This record gives sequence, structure tokens and C-alpha cells, in this order.
Amino acid sequence: MTEPTVVGFICDWSVDLKPLSEGGHLRELPHVRIIRVPCSGFVRPSWLEETLTRGAAGVFVTGCPYGDCLNREGNFLMRDRIEQLHRRLQRRKVDPARVAMLAFGLHDGPGFLAQVKAFVERIASLPAPAPARGGRPTVAQPAGASEGDAS
Amino acid sequence: MSSATTDQATGRYARSMTALLRGTLRLDVWINRVYPTDFNPLYYTGGLSNLFLLTLVLSGIFLFFYYEASLGSAFASIQYLTERVPYGGVIRGVHRYAADGFIVGILLHLFRNWFTDRYLFARDNPWISGMFLLLFAGFVGVTGYQLVWDERAQLLTTLVVAMLYSIPAAGQGLVHLLLGGVGVSDTTLVRLLYLHIGPASALYAFLWWHYLRLRHPKIWPPGVWTLFCVGLVFLLAGLIPVTRDAIPPSSPAARPTHFPMDVFFMLPFWFMNILPAGGVVALLVLLFVGGLAIPYLSRRETPAQMEVRHAGVAQVVDGNCTGCELCYYDCPYNAIVMVPSPGRGLTKAAANRTLLAVVIESRCVECGICIGACPFEALELPKLMERDVLNQVSLAMQT
Repeated sequence: MTEPTVVGFICDWSVDLKPLSEGGHLRELPHVRIIRVPCSGFVRPSWLEETLTRGAAGVFVTGCPYGDCLNREGNFLMRDRIEQLHRRLQRRKVDPARVAMLAFGLHDGPGFLAQVKAFVERIASLPAPAPARGGRPTVAQPAGASEGDAS
Repeated sequence: MSSATTDQATGRYARSMTALLRGTLRLDVWINRVYPTDFNPLYYTGGLSNLFLLTLVLSGIFLFFYYEASLGSAFASIQYLTERVPYGGVIRGVHRYAADGFIVGILLHLFRNWFTDRYLFARDNPWISGMFLLLFAGFVGVTGYQLVWDERAQLLTTLVVAMLYSIPAAGQGLVHLLLGGVGVSDTTLVRLLYLHIGPASALYAFLWWHYLRLRHPKIWPPGVWTLFCVGLVFLLAGLIPVTRDAIPPSSPAARPTHFPMDVFFMLPFWFMNILPAGGVVALLVLLFVGGLAIPYLSRRETPAQMEVRHAGVAQVVDGNCTGCELCYYDCPYNAIVMVPSPGRGLTKAAANRTLLAVVIESRCVECGICIGACPFEALELPKLMERDVLNQVSLAMQT
């Protein structure tokens, strides 16, 4: 697989995925996998780290436009949490550019796609990520054998 | 057979509600092209209403000190206020136009939150209080027009009395209570003044209820919109003085048959052109009760269609909770409370906790924001657990 896998946690209320995706990935960018969540604020920052640890080249969260979260504050909270996560990743020598927060409404499909493409391109230009590791990343960084080729 | 037709009906209802949802969000897209999302006025309809309410209260206090509640001097006192008191006419105009803005804000707020499903689950609480806010705001507006005691007020009073009379059994008593006797007298105006200010004050009690389950409610619009709205109201008050209609003062001999309309407050009275008074009362009651029923009867989607958005009430994992209060601070609906911990947690981090998070199920809207807030894996949505999400991550990495 030449294209690095990118995982997107996408709020079920934000951008309309029906015309954009099939079978858990974006139609135009098959290497962008999609996980639907009830609200962008549902995503635990440790899951984003875990996703990177499991071999994803990048991970992003998509919420509603700022100010229009169905649950009032979810996207603002997630934006703050991702900022915190960026600082944490920097300390762990992981490029924070691999984690992004996007905000797009139901009808913003084209804008969403454009930004995801930009995100993917940006990641592709980064030096190769550390090989994938299994296990939980939150407690410690296990220096296990590489499983990157298998996955 | 009947169930099939019901299914079809709910199908049509669901489709139209979905169309309205998409239309509402389409409108947002257009507005977001003009303004950044932080300044989209449709994201602040509640705050705008609150701003207009404050404008009304402040200008109303000013007007109150000049008003005399008696048949003979009510109109004269308002005329004096408008013509002799410096800026009196402008303040009166501000009070009038801010009231229109208030109703427009409330209606936009109502329809937006209805069409975008923001009344589901525990969010019926702001919805119900909001219906009362709308009812009281409309009522306060009508009594406000009556206070002027010109011919319009006289006709309005006649229409209100006719509507009250049409209520079976209680009608006569209500009319007696409103007028303070068998006919219009000075007492009537005192009662109208109370019925203007009393329910207006009650709006703040309902607002307290409205905000009760909201953490960090957005009660003010952005500063520029505050300036714009206050400026607009003042501009309108200066450009279109409220005395433009030139309605003569009320007199017992006058038999007014029509008056300049204010569509935001007098629509029910316009309906009296085509419906009997009882019909209008029934219509208003029906609208109000129907509005109250919306969170319980109308469902755009079945639980199955909601999928991840209906993942069950958040559950605290007792053994992992450290009592750190992060979920308590982030829950947008005040659904999480911290209680003194009844015992130690199981994990190392939770061993010395003094507090324990508890989800109040009746307030939870199943959004999962507390799950994202919790760094200790102490909260889960039953139908979308951390395990499930990480399984999906693994699956995404494999394919």
C-alpha cells in the first residue's frame, strides 16, 4: 500500500457522509478510514494517540462548524483537547501535524474533502512515521516489535 | 392496515422534518459565507432574544416612571412622555421595536432548535420552558399595546374580552378578573399594567428554568451583534416614530373597527376576522399544547436510524473514576454531579479519590462528551464502548 492510512473520527451530525463514503472509507480517498461518533467531543484524545500507535499516518476529528455543535460545546471542547494533545505529542517526539481537528456542517462535503486532501498531502510530505506498535499507548510507550507490515 | 398508514404518515413527517433540517443547515452555509461561524447570527438566536429582553426591561423601567394607569390620564401621560420628555419618544420606539425583535428572536430560536433536533432526550427541559417564554412574551406584548389606551387598545381589549368570554365556564369570571369589574374602569388599567410587568418579570423565572440544564449557556450574542441590534432598534425608533400611525386616544364614544397591525403580536387578533373568538382561543391552546408535545410525540428518526447518536446513557465505571471532575466540567447539560466517594476505586489512580462522578440519567442526552473528557477510562456509552471504538480502529488499520 503506497498511500498511508489515515483515520477520521467523524461526528454523525456534521458532514453528510452518504455521498462521500462507502464501506468505512472515503470514496475519493480510499486510504482515509472513517469511524462515526455521536459527537466530536466523544473522541477520547488517547484514542487518537492509540490510532497513531497502531500504524495510522494521521488521524483527524471532524465536528460541526464552531458555534453550531448539536451538543452545544462538543467541537470547542474537542478543539481544546486536540491542542493539548498536540503539546503532549510534541513531548513524545511525534509530529503534531498528524492530528487535526476539522469542522464542517452537513452540506460542506466539498470543503471537507478538500481539507482532508490537504491534510493527507501534508502528512505524506512528513518523514515516515514510527513503525506501528500494538498495545496501549497511554500508560507507556511499549517498544514492541514492528507490526506495521502486517497491518 | 392502520399501522401501515401510520407508518406512511410518520414517514412523510420524518421526510419533511429532514427536509427542514437540511434547509436550515443550507441557510447556515449561505450565512457562513458572509460571516465567520463565530458571528453567524443564527447561532445566537437565544442570545439575541435575551439581548432584546434586556433592552425591553431597561427601556420599560424608563417608561414606567412616566406612565399613569387611569382611563383619563394613560394616553395623556404617554403623549407627554413622547413629546415633552427628552428622548422619550425614542425610548418608546426602542421599547416597541425591541419587542418585535424579541419575538422574532424567539421564533427563530424555536424553529431552529426544532428543525435541528435540539429538543431530544433530556433537552425537553429548555424546550418546555421555551414554550412558556413564548407564551408569556406574546401575552406581555398584547398587554403592552393595551396600556397605551388609544383606540387600538380599546379594540384590543374588546377582542380579548370576547376571546375570554368564549372560554366555557371560566370565561365570565376571567373577564371580571381582567377588567376588575363589570366594565372598563381605572382598575382595568392598573390590572393591565400589572399584567404587563408581572409576566415580563416572570420571563426571568422561566429563563432560569431555561438555563437550568445548560452549562455555559450562550446568553449574549457577540459584541458586534449586540451593537448592531441595539443600534438598529434605536435607528428604527428614530426613523419610524411610533406616533406615525397617529391613533386617536380611546373614548367611550369611539367605536374603532380596525387598527394598524403589528404582525408579531396581533396575529391572533387578525384571525378573529375569519374565525369566531372561541376558534381563535382553541387555535392558540392547540398551538401551545402541540408545542409542548413536540419533544414527546415528534421523532424525526427512529432509535435504529439514530445509530451512534443513540448509544445509551453514559455510565460511570466506578473502579476507574478518580473524582477528577473533568467530566463534570465538560458536560454541557449538567448531567454529571460529583458526590463524596463511598469507597476506594480499583485502579492506582482511583485509590485515593474523595469524589465520585455520578451521571443523572434523566439529564443525559447521550452525546458522549464526558467520554472524551475522561482520561481514566471511567465513562462509557453502553452501545459504543471504548472497546468498540478501538476495534473499529483496528479494523480500519487492517483493511
